[in-house]
Amino acid sequence: MKKVTFAAFVAFWSSVLTTLALARMSPPEPVTAGQRAEFVYTLQQVAGHASEASCWLAIEGKVYDVTSYLPRHPAPQTVLLRWCGKEATEGMRTKGYGAEHTPAAWGLLDEFLIGTLAPES
Amino acid sequence: MTRTLHRAVRQRRLNWLAWVVALLPLLAALPFAGRAALHEPAAMLNWLGRLAGISALSFLLVAAILSCRVPGFDRPFGGLTKLWRTHHLLGATAFLFALLHPLLLSLAAGGASLGAAADTLLPPAGDRGSWLGWIALLAMMGFLAPSFAFFGEPRYQRWHSLHRLAAVAVLAALVHTLLFSRTIPEPWNTGIWFVLATAAVASVAWRLVFSRRTSRLRYRVERVARPASSVVELTLRPEGPHLAYLPGQFVYLTPYDESLAAGNREEHPYTLSSAPAEPCLRVVIKDIGAASRAIQSIQSGSEVRVEGPYGDFFPRRDVGSSELWIAGGIGITPFLGRLRQLAGARETLDAQLIYCVQDESRAHFADELARLVASVPGMRLTIHYFCREGPLTRRFLQQHCPDFAERRAYLCGPEPLQRIARDLLSAAAVGRQQIVTEEFSLL
Repeated sequence: MKKVTFAAFVAFWSSVLTTLALARMSPPEPVTAGQRAEFVYTLQQVAGHASEASCWLAIEGKVYDVTSYLPRHPAPQTVLLRWCGKEATEGMRTKGYGAEHTPAAWGLLDEFLIGTLAPES
Repeated sequence: MTRTLHRAVRQRRLNWLAWVVALLPLLAALPFAGRAALHEPAAMLNWLGRLAGISALSFLLVAAILSCRVPGFDRPFGGLTKLWRTHHLLGATAFLFALLHPLLLSLAAGGASLGAAADTLLPPAGDRGSWLGWIALLAMMGFLAPSFAFFGEPRYQRWHSLHRLAAVAVLAALVHTLLFSRTIPEPWNTGIWFVLATAAVASVAWRLVFSRRTSRLRYRVERVARPASSVVELTLRPEGPHLAYLPGQFVYLTPYDESLAAGNREEHPYTLSSAPAEPCLRVVIKDIGAASRAIQSIQSGSEVRVEGPYGDFFPRRDVGSSELWIAGGIGITPFLGRLRQLAGARETLDAQLIYCVQDESRAHFADELARLVASVPGMRLTIHYFCREGPLTRRFLQQHCPDFAERRAYLCGPEPLQRIARDLLSAAAVGRQQIVTEEFSLL
């Protein structure tokens, strides 16, 4: 057991350091966000997509269609479903218990951008 | 015979029970995998990463529960040393799961980008949940490094004090898991962790707080006998309630003697050599480390505290079968206790004791053993000298105990002797359930 745990210990740090070093050396990723930002939706339009079949989220002035992402979200689906069709900035910023989503999660969100939220009149 | 066989089977089952309980959260999470986890590689890696995380915590908690050391709790597990073997393996498994957990999550994020993989490993400063996970993992590395001899064989005391970091690891891992609780649906999630965490906290609280007050008995050193230059036998007179125990069990002894060069107020395990009916306790201590060396010069009249008894070497009741005892060096101690009990109670026992020693100078208690054996009808004693006869052989066993393969065997001594004896008995078709061993290595 001693050999196995020590081998795992060394392999762990090797993997962590390799990942961090590669990420540090790789060129910055191209920014794809904002390409579809010319579409403008109202909160009422967003509210029309409040189900598993079509789930839109309004987050920090932008609108996302995360329908295709629903089955991939790590939390049980009910956690994400209750934000569908709503202003979901709070959910994204707090996960419901005060913890911010990771930069990786924010980066992933850009893939689902469909427009911006119309300012409330 | 039937009764002891049943006992051996039950012991093995209870050790398995610890593994089953540790696997419960993983089993509870399995039905909730979701479609994506079964079809998309990244989602599957993420799912496996989360399963590794909850398994790391549950194995850690069950290992903590098993560390409670409540006297008597160890017997259904086959004694404290066997219970600790399970504790040790559960801890190792928890560690392997804990190492896999961030790596799998990082690999899963790697599907999005290399930056996402790195961000999973090194989360932003505000992500308290993830950093608690890191604190738990680093604490595990700290307290398990001596257990698995990452940096050489540790000293007992360093291992003992570093093991307290386990409390930090358990607490941080628990909060980390509850913050991210999204793998097992409610109310199962809260229910499972509440039960396991409560049992673990109760277990550690017993160990650190209550056991010190309630189960440590006060004794005073009455006599220090020196059967050899590196061995002492302490006679301890109770200052309050006297310990109830069985022959061959062991205790944790804490000396209170400021003049000791090492080990003052430190607890160490020692085997009882007295018969339970004696008014005093006797423990045999061989000089094998700093504390056991220092205690060789403990002063008569000094106070000690005794916690126990532990171990499950001899059966609770005599079951009328014939026995083979193989002792090596200081491993004679539990047999000495049993012989003193048999002689004191004028009992009979069909048993052959084979006492393996290096040479005459290491045959501790040889004279007393001969006297005791002579007073117990059915008992026989043979001393095996390594310097003359080399390692124990089947021929030697057959010569001195022709029916050795039909006897229930009790082994106690250094690991090489136990290995040789087990091999000889297995070769003679003695079943594993007929062999009882007592080990003293605690790591």
